[in-house]
Amino acid sequence: MKPVKFSTFFFTLLAGLVIQLYPWSNTGLILRPDFLLVIAVYWLLQAPYHCNIGWVWFAGLLVDLATGSLLGQHALSFSITAFLGLIYQRRLVLFNAWQLYLYVIFLFAAQRVLILLLKLFAGSELPDWTYGLPIISDLILWQIMIVWFGALSRPKKL
Amino acid sequence: MLKGIHQQLDPQESPAFFIQGPKPFSRLMFFCALSLVMMAIDARFEYLGQIRQWFSAALHPLEVVASAPNEWGRNIHTYFTSHNQLIQDNFKLKQQALIDHAALQRLATVDAENAHLRTLLAGDAPIIPQATLGEVLHMGRDPFSNIITLNRGSRHGVTPGQAVVDEQGVVGQITRVYPFTSEVTLITDKKLSIPIQIERNQLRAIAFGEGQRNTLDIPYLPTSVDIKVGDKLVTSGIDGVYPAGLAVAVVTQIRQNQDSPFAKIISRPIAGVNNHKHVLILKVPTSPPSSPVTNNKLMLPRNNAQHLDQSVVDILQQNNAAVDPHPVSELPSLDTTTPESSPENQAAAQPAAAPDNAQRPTAAERP
Repeated sequence: MKPVKFSTFFFTLLAGLVIQLYPWSNTGLILRPDFLLVIAVYWLLQAPYHCNIGWVWFAGLLVDLATGSLLGQHALSFSITAFLGLIYQRRLVLFNAWQLYLYVIFLFAAQRVLILLLKLFAGSELPDWTYGLPIISDLILWQIMIVWFGALSRPKKL
Repeated sequence: MLKGIHQQLDPQESPAFFIQGPKPFSRLMFFCALSLVMMAIDARFEYLGQIRQWFSAALHPLEVVASAPNEWGRNIHTYFTSHNQLIQDNFKLKQQALIDHAALQRLATVDAENAHLRTLLAGDAPIIPQATLGEVLHMGRDPFSNIITLNRGSRHGVTPGQAVVDEQGVVGQITRVYPFTSEVTLITDKKLSIPIQIERNQLRAIAFGEGQRNTLDIPYLPTSVDIKVGDKLVTSGIDGVYPAGLAVAVVTQIRQNQDSPFAKIISRPIAGVNNHKHVLILKVPTSPPSSPVTNNKLMLPRNNAQHLDQSVVDILQQNNAAVDPHPVSELPSLDTTTPESSPENQAAAQPAAAPDNAQRPTAAERP
């Protein structure tokens, strides 16, 4: 598989930011996937030569700025998620499709739990069950990324 | 160039076998530490506010791009609004205007009368707030906070702390201002509290937002307090942020717990906190209304009497020139307040001003 161009990586991230900035409201807001997280984690696993923990952290920082939350909350949760993703990065090629989905769901859920913990520490209250719904839309977005940019493949040099 | 550096630095690319374990971990440690430091700085100090401002200004074009489809959709919708709809709206608005006109005419006389009475009592002139119209750009992107974003920012003269209202009542308060936009924390947010008064009996209290449930809570009122379901809560105006008399909420539920001396009072906001398009941003008066009159009420210094009476006469003259429909007939009654009888005047003014202050003790004594 040909290596992904840096521009592809950069512009998908930019597109993710723009969609994140779209004025979501009501149901859309509840169901909205974490665009930047999904895109950044996809590239982290697909093209580690472009995207490293630093980029994912930066994506989290963008989310912090866009949401107006405490600077660093999303950045921290994104970077920990990225690390969790990297632990099995080399072994992902051995996973079948369902195992991969489970792994990705675990990553997205981990990020949401981390953010929840950070927010609870900062004094927010516990959200209701709809808080978990974006994991499903995250998975749909993940599938779209796979359709557009290819399934996760064996790294070039193993 | 950038790509080259990445390839050199990236541990994933490195052929060495054992290097890939610790490297992402040290990276993680570095970024974790960085985020924790940033969170601490952001929470404790204001240094990062400026960075936020710059970033928001930089993100503004992207935001415009992102909301463009929404804008087009709305424009198309406006374009295809039917003729019939417009006629209906026009009719409705005309009717509303008639009703409002009638109310306004009454308001003018009541205002004049009120101003006159206030000058008689040597009270402060009521503050009439100025307002700017703002449009809601989007709901908060963060599910944990009740925030809306308006299309007015520091470039339009918006400052943090301004009250935001819609046609029905108080929506919230401006908490963060960017160059082109500003964030409004809704009154239902957990962090926001608002001084209120029960319209029926003028009992003062403070209402706190309850976050996700979209309600307000009024804690610290005793179980025996005179409050009923359906009571309307209005702003008391004692905080200098919200002008007095704006509708805030309606009491929907009162629960009395045997174990607690306080009643649990839940109310629902009147303003369409979550579903309006246009709101008014009220200007905060630049300085809190400090007046020699209030000082006089407290200390009654006799040597200030001359000054007080002069100011009263000044205000009265201004008012008479401006609005008062029946000025001269009532002037003599105030003329008696000029220097020779000033102590009596102040003594008379004090009980008259007292009911406003007297409300609180009665409310507190009730239990």
